[in-house]
Amino acid sequence: MWFKSKAAALGDFEQLVLLGVLRLADDAYGAAIRQEIHARSGRDVSINAVYTTLDRLEAKGLLRSWAGEPTAQRGGRRRKFYALNPSGTAALRQAYHAMQAMADGLEERLNPK
Amino acid sequence: MTPHPPRLAVSLLAWRLSPEWHDFVLGDLEEEFCVRAASSAPAARRWFWRQAIRCVAAPPPASAPHHHRPGRDPFMRTLLSDVRHALRVFIRTPSYAVAVAAVLALGIGANTAIFSIVNAVLLRPLPFEDPDTLVRLFHVPPQSTFPGMATFSLSPANFLDWQRDSQSFDGMAAYNFRQLTLTGNGAAEAVRAAAVGPDFFKVLRTPPALGRTFLPEEFSARAKVLVLSEGFWRSHLGAAPDAVGRTLTFDGEGYTVVGVMPRRFSLNAWGATTVPMWTPLAWTDKQAAVRENHNYQAIARLKPGVDLARAKTELAVISKRLEQAYPAENAGWGGTAIPLQELIVGDVRRSLMMLLGAVALVLLIACANVGNLILARAMNRRKEIAIRAALGAGRRRVFQHLLVESLVLAAAGGAAGLLLARLAIGAGASLLADQIPRAEEATIDGRVLLFVIAASILTGFLAGAVPALRAGRTDLNDTLKEGGRSDAAGAGSLTRRALIVAEVALSLMLLMGAGVMLRSLHALRNVDTGFNPRNVLKLDLNATDARYPTPTQKKVFYDTVMDRLRALPGVQAAGWADTLPVTGGGSVQPMVIEGRAELNPREQPTVSVRVTSDEYVKTMQIPLLRGRDFRRGDGDAFLVSAAAAKLLWGDIDPIGRRATLPLISRTQAVEVVGVVGDVKEQLSEQAPPTIYYHMHELPFGDVSIAMRTAGDPAQLAHAAVAAIQAMDAQLPVQNVDSMEDVIEETLVSERFRALLLEVFALAALTLASVGIYSVLSYLVRGRRREIGIRTALGARTSDVLRMVLLEGLKPALSGIVLGAAGALLAAGLLEKLVFGVKASDPLTLAIVALALLLVSVAASLLPAWRASKLDPLTVLRDS
Repeated sequence: MWFKSKAAALGDFEQLVLLGVLRLADDAYGAAIRQEIHARSGRDVSINAVYTTLDRLEAKGLLRSWAGEPTAQRGGRRRKFYALNPSGTAALRQAYHAMQAMADGLEERLNPK
Repeated sequence: MTPHPPRLAVSLLAWRLSPEWHDFVLGDLEEEFCVRAASSAPAARRWFWRQAIRCVAAPPPASAPHHHRPGRDPFMRTLLSDVRHALRVFIRTPSYAVAVAAVLALGIGANTAIFSIVNAVLLRPLPFEDPDTLVRLFHVPPQSTFPGMATFSLSPANFLDWQRDSQSFDGMAAYNFRQLTLTGNGAAEAVRAAAVGPDFFKVLRTPPALGRTFLPEEFSARAKVLVLSEGFWRSHLGAAPDAVGRTLTFDGEGYTVVGVMPRRFSLNAWGATTVPMWTPLAWTDKQAAVRENHNYQAIARLKPGVDLARAKTELAVISKRLEQAYPAENAGWGGTAIPLQELIVGDVRRSLMMLLGAVALVLLIACANVGNLILARAMNRRKEIAIRAALGAGRRRVFQHLLVESLVLAAAGGAAGLLLARLAIGAGASLLADQIPRAEEATIDGRVLLFVIAASILTGFLAGAVPALRAGRTDLNDTLKEGGRSDAAGAGSLTRRALIVAEVALSLMLLMGAGVMLRSLHALRNVDTGFNPRNVLKLDLNATDARYPTPTQKKVFYDTVMDRLRALPGVQAAGWADTLPVTGGGSVQPMVIEGRAELNPREQPTVSVRVTSDEYVKTMQIPLLRGRDFRRGDGDAFLVSAAAAKLLWGDIDPIGRRATLPLISRTQAVEVVGVVGDVKEQLSEQAPPTIYYHMHELPFGDVSIAMRTAGDPAQLAHAAVAAIQAMDAQLPVQNVDSMEDVIEETLVSERFRALLLEVFALAALTLASVGIYSVLSYLVRGRRREIGIRTALGARTSDVLRMVLLEGLKPALSGIVLGAAGALLAAGLLEKLVFGVKASDPLTLAIVALALLLVSVAASLLPAWRASKLDPLTVLRDS
């Protein structure tokens, strides 16, 4: 197809999740991402939605994941960590730029005093 | 103590999450829970529950290896997405979804209601241990003298011989019924009791809920002891836990309660367990020696490993031996065993299966209708479907998509149908309780639930498969090429016509069934019974031994009662008989003409014997053919029916001749004083030869009194009861009713069958006409252009009308022809259920076919009229 070389288009929630992963760097696992999204965007999403999206993004090749060590704090259970792949960073960048380009010159109207 | 997340929520999650997500999700939730619990434990718990519920509803997908994910459609995932899509579509167009679900709900609901009765009556085992090994024992009477009778009651001596000589049974008990009068508790109350032999409770293997059953010595000593039913214990003893040991007074004698049976023992469908109480059946030596008088029932249990055939053979062999040993009493009398279940269910099986078949036809018609609706929608959505196909959805995928839609609708219909069935059962079960054995036990149980689920799935497939196949076959290119015209008439119209044919054919079969049943009911109502039931009031009365110990006292009592009743204003005549016609039962006895030798039972003719008062024949308006009616002063005398006169005397005039009834007395020859018309014992059977016997004194006390009234018999009921009670308030007056109602009551199951079939047929007719109407409307809409052009080219209104009418009538006519063929084929199944009319009655078929044709015309008229009113200008401009 013609647009194969371009980065995958991202949904709104996918963008939030990817931004969460980027922001949390080495500490990006489900609960942390959920809390980050809640704290910053105000959206109180459920953990299953976060993991379903992470799983989908991983299937698209935008993310990679690995399991951490079990910790006592979580009843001896492991965490699943995520990090962006280059294609993920590219997709996020493209979405960000698109948003920026579309919003250019509208800052005043989007941030009413 | 640190708070823990709600344990139930954790286990729910553990159950729902796939292993690969288990740790991560639970760990995350617990981690955040701990943080939240630090500020507020309850809020944290609520939060945990919200998260858990959302996770359980839609857990993160268990991953097949990632590279497999895109492209291929795992069945479950596409199924879920189809279900979601279907729900969205239905929420967008609720009227369509509601209409379809409602039609299916009615269909499934009716099927479920009938099935729940079938379940209770035919499928659920009887409430006894090992019910399959319970059999009832019968004599088989000689066919030469008891024509048409397959079974007969037992005599004590024969029963005892069977019990002694047989090896097939694990216990055998005789029983019969007696009427007791409960006194000392305000008004006298008649109570029916079963007198049961020693093995009765042992055979049924049901222990009492309270106290004990009878001890062996209580069967010999004529002990006054009772076992009560749960119902009587509740209604008369207030369910007192200390009921055992109390004394109840019946006919002036004290009876001690020794036990109470559990509720489940009171099986309504079998006389021996329906009664409110049981007493021991104790035979004196004299009674036990009676061989020729057959007045007892028997229940037995087959030994483990013994099958029915072997038991029957054994009874036949023993009976043969008894025939040889006692030819005077037993010649021609065989023996047989019939499973209790079969006797209880009996004729009802055929009737219920017929109804189940009929209601299934209604569901099929509903499926055809719904299939039509789904197809219409699929055709309207051909664009959408074609685009899906263009984007790579295979035929299977499109098929699945549409099928899922119809399954979702069927599931909704099934759920609503279950509710409808519950309501119907609630209303209907108690009505049916008297007519259909065990119908009152009909409930929604696991089996009925399974039935609903299966019926819903099947319905979804039936209704959805044809349209889904049809839509999946739609040619992609044609559809897309059609451009703006989304109304091509050709698409799917063949399928739609086929559905109409099916609907009409099935409707015709149902209408035919209902028509035949109605005609049969009509025929039964108009049977000439041989007496006139109009304006006759009847009631049952029992002059008990306790109050009127001698036969003379009884006779005098009833003479006085008759005098009082005849004196009542509005009473034209009054008489009594031991058994009234059409009420079932009554004595059948051999009869010997004076001067001839008594033959063995195989050859000695038998007659129905009715002991009656004077004026009985006049009261019932049974025609007096010759001779005279009984008079008050008569001693013993006979009236014989025409059939009995012919059977016994042939062409000789019987009046003045004498005969004996050996079972009553071999020495007393009684003179015939008159010949009367034949009277039917059962509406659907031949009138048996009958002897009316006027006795100079009365050896028994319970009779049925009949009064011919000037006006409405119900008006007289109160005065008649009052007149009797003024003479003796201690006697219970029972079953006060008009003779017409008594006859109508015997027709209840026929009425019920006819009513249900009428309802089903009406539903079928409505569905079929709606189907014809909607298909024609659709076809007309599709041919607007064509019709417009025809009109523009000079076609007249009548031409268009005719064209569209024919369009509708062609499939309807095919349906009628097919349905007629089907009805004739199915007639064999109905033949045993109808009376006075053949199940393939051509007149009924013609009427039904004509009615269906008229309905088809009516359903086609509106679309045809609309088509004829199309303005060619508008139509052609639009397209």
